[in-house]
Amino acid sequence: MDKVDLLAKFDKISANRDQLSAVGRDPTSIVIDRIISPTEAIIDGKPTILVGTNNYLGLTFDPECVAAGQSALAEAGTGTTGSRMANGSYAPHLALEHELAEFYDVPHAMVFSTGYAANLGTLAALVNTGDVVVMDADAHASLYDGCRMSGGSVYRFRHNDMTSLGNRLRRLAEKASRTLIVVEGLYSVLGDRAPLREIVALKREFGAHLLVDEAHSLGIYGEHGRGVCEELGVMEDVDFIVGTFSKSLGATGGFCASRHDVLPLFRYASRPYIFTASGNPSVIATTRAALRQISARPQLRQKLHDNAERLYRGLEAMGLRLGADVSPVIAVRFEQSEDAARTWERLLEAGIYTNLFVPPATPDGSSLLRCSVSAAHSEEQIDTILQRFREIIEPARSRAAGS
Amino acid sequence: MATQQEKIEEALREILSGSVDSSVDLASNTNFVSDLGLESIQVLEFVMEVEERFDIAIDMESLSDVHTIGELARIVAGLVED
Repeated sequence: MDKVDLLAKFDKISANRDQLSAVGRDPTSIVIDRIISPTEAIIDGKPTILVGTNNYLGLTFDPECVAAGQSALAEAGTGTTGSRMANGSYAPHLALEHELAEFYDVPHAMVFSTGYAANLGTLAALVNTGDVVVMDADAHASLYDGCRMSGGSVYRFRHNDMTSLGNRLRRLAEKASRTLIVVEGLYSVLGDRAPLREIVALKREFGAHLLVDEAHSLGIYGEHGRGVCEELGVMEDVDFIVGTFSKSLGATGGFCASRHDVLPLFRYASRPYIFTASGNPSVIATTRAALRQISARPQLRQKLHDNAERLYRGLEAMGLRLGADVSPVIAVRFEQSEDAARTWERLLEAGIYTNLFVPPATPDGSSLLRCSVSAAHSEEQIDTILQRFREIIEPARSRAAGS
Repeated sequence: MATQQEKIEEALREILSGSVDSSVDLASNTNFVSDLGLESIQVLEFVMEVEERFDIAIDMESLSDVHTIGELARIVAGLVED
């Protein structure tokens, strides 16, 4: 048998990376030389408008959040140097958990050090060998990884397809009561939302439980900004909500909130919670300040949706193929991955930063430029983004038509 | 007379023939990725069609070791019998 070297696997990765950089700029190696505001940065020495940062509410430079972080840094130091189980929680960790529970109007919330750890830690504690997860095929990698860590059996259903979900629940029959349905509120690549009312109806019919990841929808949907669950009126029927502090809240960290009294017991059963350092005092402080902003300034949500509408309608008017829903995540789809890559690179040269997605990273195998809109974008910035798209797309189209 | 394994393999070939070049030989040991060049998304779509056809649910763990029509047919046979 041929001997295989431990490091040989990297030959293929290296070849793929070289292939990527040979055709143009490698999207995985972008360096932001200097960040100026939630919507502007210097990239390659050029002032650039950011429309791919998930900074939905634009709170990263919010004066109250910055002040809260600075004050916590001065008062509590740079880090906690340990895990909450072994080295103790700081009072602000518990305060944030209390405030999150209040925000969602549920009895319990639990804070993790990252959004990724929140998904891993929640699923690993909640699902064990013999339990079942039925998950939307487009769910985030952290949810897949959490399932793998959990030891449960995982079945995928077609993205947002209720027949596919219903069929799987029916086939699982007597196991349905120990089944967790896992979906996202707002899907982060195509910007479409889960049909949560229909999902809740199936959950009830089969007696399953439901976990919704609101990573991209916290602070964005619903009267109080709780997310798509609130927007669609199903809060009472959702068993677990997970999410992150790293998008609309402009920090790092993650959480699980639940109406079930078992949630505090997850602390004893969740390795990603137990075996990692707790959130830095300054990060916990800016997260708490940002959460207050969501409640105190609903106008941020309105501005975000107005901006999303303006960008979506402008791109639509150019005849571009977009995701079906108008949302702060706008996917501009391309037939050919080369066209997507070329457009992405030209936009960057023209001072517009978007995210390039090509297979296999895209949910349906298509190629797209992902724009994420911020409440901090001005109308002028949105119009500049549209203008640059027009300048790049239209000549490319006439060339294609002439060839 | 065809065994159940053969019958299932035949059904899998029929489902698969919709998404691959018809000139490719679909044998029991044909590898979905290295022989047919299927992307992971296409494999997922194929498996979902198989689940619908046989009215079964196949979990991801069982699929992690499946690379050929023959291997998938064995998984399907096990679930159909249940």
